[in-house]
Amino acid sequence: MSDREEIASAEGQNGEQEEIPPAPTGFLRRYVFSIDHKVIGRQFLFLGLGFLAIGGLMAMLIRWQLARPGAPVPIVGKLLFGPSGGVISPVAYTALFTMHGTIMIFFAVTPILIGGFGNFCLPLLIGARDMAFPRLNMASFWTMFAATAILTASFFVPLGPPEAGWTAYATLSTTIGAPGPGQTLWVVAIYLNGASSVMGAVNYITTVLRMRAPGMTYLRMPLTVWGFFLTSILNALFVPVLAAAMVLLFFDRVLGTQFFIAGTTPGAGGDPILYQHLFWLFGHPEVYILILPAWGIVGDLLAFFARKPLFGYRVTVGALIAVVVLSTVVYGHHMFTTGMSPLLGESFMLLTMIISVPTSLIVFSWLGTLWRGAIRMATPMLFCLGMVFTFGVGGLTGLYLADITADIYLHDTYFVVGHFHLIMASALLMSLFAAVYFWFPKMFGRMMNEGLGKLHFWLTFVPLNLVFMGQLVIGYEGMQRRLYDPSVYDFLKPLLPLNRGISHAAYLLGAAQLIFVVNFFGSLARGARAAANPWEVGTLEWTVASPPPHHNFDQIPIVVRGPHELSHPAARALGRDWLGQAEVIETVPAPEPTAPTSTEPA
Amino acid sequence: MHIVLPRDASLDGHLVDGAIGYLTLTTGIAFAAALAFLLAAIFFHRAHARRTRGQHTHGNRPRDRALMFTVALVMFVAIDVTLALRTSRDLESHFWRYPDADPNALRVEVTAQQWAWTFRTAGPDGRFGTPDDVVTLNELDIPVGHPIYLKLRSRDVVHSLYLPNFRTKIDAIPGMTTRIWFQATEPGRFEIACAQHCGVNHYKMRGLLTARLEPEYRDWLARAETDSRLRYDPAAPATTGAWDWETGK
Repeated sequence: MSDREEIASAEGQNGEQEEIPPAPTGFLRRYVFSIDHKVIGRQFLFLGLGFLAIGGLMAMLIRWQLARPGAPVPIVGKLLFGPSGGVISPVAYTALFTMHGTIMIFFAVTPILIGGFGNFCLPLLIGARDMAFPRLNMASFWTMFAATAILTASFFVPLGPPEAGWTAYATLSTTIGAPGPGQTLWVVAIYLNGASSVMGAVNYITTVLRMRAPGMTYLRMPLTVWGFFLTSILNALFVPVLAAAMVLLFFDRVLGTQFFIAGTTPGAGGDPILYQHLFWLFGHPEVYILILPAWGIVGDLLAFFARKPLFGYRVTVGALIAVVVLSTVVYGHHMFTTGMSPLLGESFMLLTMIISVPTSLIVFSWLGTLWRGAIRMATPMLFCLGMVFTFGVGGLTGLYLADITADIYLHDTYFVVGHFHLIMASALLMSLFAAVYFWFPKMFGRMMNEGLGKLHFWLTFVPLNLVFMGQLVIGYEGMQRRLYDPSVYDFLKPLLPLNRGISHAAYLLGAAQLIFVVNFFGSLARGARAAANPWEVGTLEWTVASPPPHHNFDQIPIVVRGPHELSHPAARALGRDWLGQAEVIETVPAPEPTAPTSTEPA
Repeated sequence: MHIVLPRDASLDGHLVDGAIGYLTLTTGIAFAAALAFLLAAIFFHRAHARRTRGQHTHGNRPRDRALMFTVALVMFVAIDVTLALRTSRDLESHFWRYPDADPNALRVEVTAQQWAWTFRTAGPDGRFGTPDDVVTLNELDIPVGHPIYLKLRSRDVVHSLYLPNFRTKIDAIPGMTTRIWFQATEPGRFEIACAQHCGVNHYKMRGLLTARLEPEYRDWLARAETDSRLRYDPAAPATTGAWDWETGK
């Protein structure tokens, strides 16, 4: 079917274009209680970036304590830790690592990636005017906002903030280990955060299923859309499991039930391991919930900046779906040291290892995309390449933890910390930055500064790897997680210089983010005006103005090809190297015999 | 910089070190190959002008797919399957082969609580919860060359007994009994750590394991048993934390 015929048939199906609702005019409706996915996306982005900064500053304090145990914190010490003379107390340290983990996973990365970019990108990339349920979308943001308010309140209650770690294992998270109201507020905040995620998930799934522009078949969707779509499915299925755990934990704390309490009070017949099952049944898919959109974004961006179609798009989509399915049956590898049955343990080990097959296919697709490309080293591309590197290290170190014998030694050491930070804080953070640099022009209508962007990349990439690979090393040497003062142990005393080195790299990493802050806000105010399509790519969001009008598309586009038609021979006649997804060209030339081309449509 | 695992003083720790070594070697090779490919792609296929074009291929040809799947499967078999088979063998023939019937095994009941370990051995009568039990706080004394068989319980929150020099670790969980075994191959003093965050003083939950050769261990045991008997007070809660080894009651 030629482009023309396809459009004619699509127009036939589509009938009349729907009416465009007018843009709101009042301040509250435009900027605060907006139902526009682009505004909600920006709200999530700013909320998440704010918490990213707070969580990052907490990491700096944690690193200070590990570099100089018991030394007063300079500059802010007196203000934050006044009663202890500026020294981080064990109580404060415990609260710091608990809140650092909680904030980074639930209140920084989730809102930036899924709330921010998911919201902003999905309708634009599939050619829709908004989400399927705009009001639910607004409710999702304000539920998240309420969750952040409750979490913040937990700092200021009697007996202090929550201290049970971000995993909040029972019975430490019940009144046996955490009697104060801070932990109860934590439970409520996580529950509301989950409610927000589920609202988003339902909305994203419906939007992708029902709102795609005519011709936007599933196999023409940008990988970014695939990433958010699959993530939403996992969110809709598994966040309710976390919510169940939170409800039961809330009952245990407030109503005196004993779902997770055993062996401590007479007659308590609950099961603390039940909490771990519920938490990781959600918690392992959560890793994929966050990494799937990152994989999608990086896949698209590598193709865009290598000026080459994504290598093996269909294999990659299949691999993403396989990861989604497998991610639901591997969570037991978090619990190898709980004395689980041998049959269960070995099953979880094998299933976890099987995930490496689709994952390596995804990595090969990235490498194949780069080969024989015409690589443009713009800032988003640098961050994508950095992501490929850190994902490689983070992914491969996961095998050590999938293997039961190695895991029995490495479990609960810094090796685990290094591994998941290489995925969650490096690969994920890199793709977040890539996404910010890439979509900033579309979001705000201005370009970010390339020079500062590149400086930001190098001053992030190098210290970041030093920090997290350093953590792998001290974990390999045996240091446990969540230790206030490792020098209590003789065998850890020789690790102090290494810990200090990691901390210095971490301070540099933290300071380098100031470059990003300056670039972000400077570009917001004074960046060069962005053209509609500054990166010269073919996905739908770049066919509209930067920033897009309220209704996104004057006319719903009719999609005729895949998202990565770069270096397309037919574009040569137009004096460029890319074709838009909805671009109609009069004559499609036959493939040149010399140039190898695909035998299949993309 | 000197990157080393803690000294291995155990019979089976080399199996753990072997698995870790195998992983470091194989994943190191895989990573180096991927990185070399990545750097070569960046080096050879960089756009030097805006007009440079890439190759227009979707990588959907059968041979593209065959290549991707072949490399993925080769890696899977060489790294994952090989390792899983090896681990499975080691678990079944060593780590999960508990010395239930071994008369030489030293049986120890471990009670974890915030923030200390209580170790209890049965004494000459072989039964737990009797006046000749040897009970120690944060100290575990063992003979070299005997299987040491621990069963663990917790009185409050989840703890994890971690013996870095014996490459092993097991959680102590309220409401259930977990178990672990190991064997020391050399005398010495080694640290016992808590690996699972168990509250504010988690970092202080440290114990000391002393492994002695048979004759010295006998001497120590004789002293400890006398000491335990003298200290024994049926009214004091010193006997709590003991349970019948087999039935768990």
